[in-house]
Amino acid sequence: MTAESLAFFFLAAFAVSTAILMVLQRNPVMSAICMIGTFFSLAGLYLLLHAQLLAVLQVVIYTGAIMVLVLFVIMLLNLGDEARLRERYDLAMGVGTVLAAGFVVELFFILFYSGDPALRASMDPRAAALGTVEGMGGALFGRFVLPFEMTSVLLLVAVVGAVVLAKRKG
Amino acid sequence: MASHMLKDAALFLPEIALTVTILAAIVADLIFRRVRAVVPGIVLAGLIATGFLVLGQQGSSVAIFSSMIAVDAFAVYFKLVILLAAVVVVVFSFGSAELQTGGRKLGEYYALLAAAVLGMMLMAGANNLLMMYLALELSSISSYLLSGYTREAADSSEASLKYVIYGALSSGLMLYGISILYGLTGSLDLATINHIVPVVISAGGPPLYGLLIAGILTLAGFGYKISAVPFHFWAPDVYEGAPITITAFLAVASKAGGFAMLIRFLKVTFFDATGVMAAAGTWEAVRGLRWVDLVAILSVLSMTVGNLTAIWQNNLKRLLAYSSIAHAGYMLMGVAVLNDEGIAAVMLYFVIYLFMNLGAFYAVMLIADKTGSEDIDDYKGLGSRAPFLAVALAIFLISLSGLPPTAGFIGKLYLFAALINKGWIWLAIVGALNSVIALYYYVRVIRNMFLRTDEQQSAPLSLSGMQMTMVLALLVPTLLFGLYFGPLVQLAQASVRIFGAP
Repeated sequence: MTAESLAFFFLAAFAVSTAILMVLQRNPVMSAICMIGTFFSLAGLYLLLHAQLLAVLQVVIYTGAIMVLVLFVIMLLNLGDEARLRERYDLAMGVGTVLAAGFVVELFFILFYSGDPALRASMDPRAAALGTVEGMGGALFGRFVLPFEMTSVLLLVAVVGAVVLAKRKG
Repeated sequence: MASHMLKDAALFLPEIALTVTILAAIVADLIFRRVRAVVPGIVLAGLIATGFLVLGQQGSSVAIFSSMIAVDAFAVYFKLVILLAAVVVVVFSFGSAELQTGGRKLGEYYALLAAAVLGMMLMAGANNLLMMYLALELSSISSYLLSGYTREAADSSEASLKYVIYGALSSGLMLYGISILYGLTGSLDLATINHIVPVVISAGGPPLYGLLIAGILTLAGFGYKISAVPFHFWAPDVYEGAPITITAFLAVASKAGGFAMLIRFLKVTFFDATGVMAAAGTWEAVRGLRWVDLVAILSVLSMTVGNLTAIWQNNLKRLLAYSSIAHAGYMLMGVAVLNDEGIAAVMLYFVIYLFMNLGAFYAVMLIADKTGSEDIDDYKGLGSRAPFLAVALAIFLISLSGLPPTAGFIGKLYLFAALINKGWIWLAIVGALNSVIALYYYVRVIRNMFLRTDEQQSAPLSLSGMQMTMVLALLVPTLLFGLYFGPLVQLAQASVRIFGAP
């Protein structure tokens, strides 16, 4: 087992366990802290995939900005511990369970039985160049410059819209 | 690279001008807080300038910015329809009493309207699934905000919320379809997908089912934008709750953008390049996919459900909403024909639809501003209270139902001719039967206006010179194109050329 796969399994296990803990925690602040753990291990996984820029952005945006926002909301709403909901078993839940189980089976099928095994083991050498700042910049301001610019218009409209909705009458 | 981009930017000038207009409107709203006419003036000037820049693009047929957007005769035609509708709606909005209630400032309203127009113009040209999705979202988000703009009215908020929920659902479905399509073909570019689709189909098995599912899911996004049954559930509530200016805008411009995108998607992605008929202006869909039948089913459902539900409506705005669903069905018939004749008929219909539908909405708006009601029962005796307006509304409604000598007749004539030439007799019969049903509920309004008398003997309604001019500006083309339609037909037939399609 190489150091890379060792790192992968460590990060993956950490990501999955913190994600499960996040759902199980009853205290919202503890949930938020578990989510930070997931975000960090995801950033590590991106690094293993040679996506340096994405890894840095993951930390800066998600672990930094988004998490602060989530914590602010929790504090402003002054949330207490979650009250335990009574579980009900009905048709919708049964259908949901069957669908979820089907999805898991499908995932395993794709992972182990389909596709080219050689392709799974190797990595396209060009992939490493894609994840750098230069690679991302080249894509965003080259081929995808128009969608990139139009996204900024879209965000502007969303900001104006948020102001319109929040503004009081008059 | 840089010089390449500058060349592309020169072909993108109309959209750049419109973006500048949006920014100018937002800034001007902050500076000129007291003067009401500044922001609408800026937006109106910007829209007209954009229109002239679009006119300058006639004759070009290229795809710019790495094939993200196509600039071709087809896009130019639809952009002009959208801009014309937007100009009319801005003028409507300036005179609307409904928007003034509640004392809200309207600066952002006009800026958002311009943003919606930008989104729709991008929809008309989008040549890449990523761009299509972005354009759809830009126009949708602006429309959500606009339909909830008179937030003080409860039904306006409800309309906006319903619109957001249905919009989010259908754009999610569409995105899922696009992701499957990308997974199967490895590309988002329509022309590249077209090369790979036959390979996927000949392989058969799971990829073929994947392609079918992807197509149906993507169709859900388009169907929502053009409010075709069964993706229409948002339309009646939104049309009723939104300010009537926005209802008119959604019914015409939004639908034009959706149709342009749908036609381009079907025609570029799924035409069979090896088909023998390709040269003769007819394009075959790739074998193994029954797209045409799917479009025909959507068309029949939209017409029938739209018309049958409209019969029971008493609110005129809601009635026009169902009628616009039915009109989406009529126009889908032209798409189902899958040839240039059918597309030209749809494009011709759009121009006519623009005048008659905006006219009908404007008349309803003027009456609602004066009487405060959109109920059909309150239209009793309108023929004597406001003869000019009542006659105008009657003509718009007759044109919507498709009777001669109005323009609506010419539009339907070309649609049915295209159907019959291709041998779609049963679809033409369904369409004709639907027109008869439609006639019933339009005539009900006209009967109330002229044959029933108002018990309360209310005072006559008077129109200002400006309002009179506006009604005439929409009324004259509705009648004129019914008698003299040659140039319009030629323009539509000359504009069917789509970049990347035969």
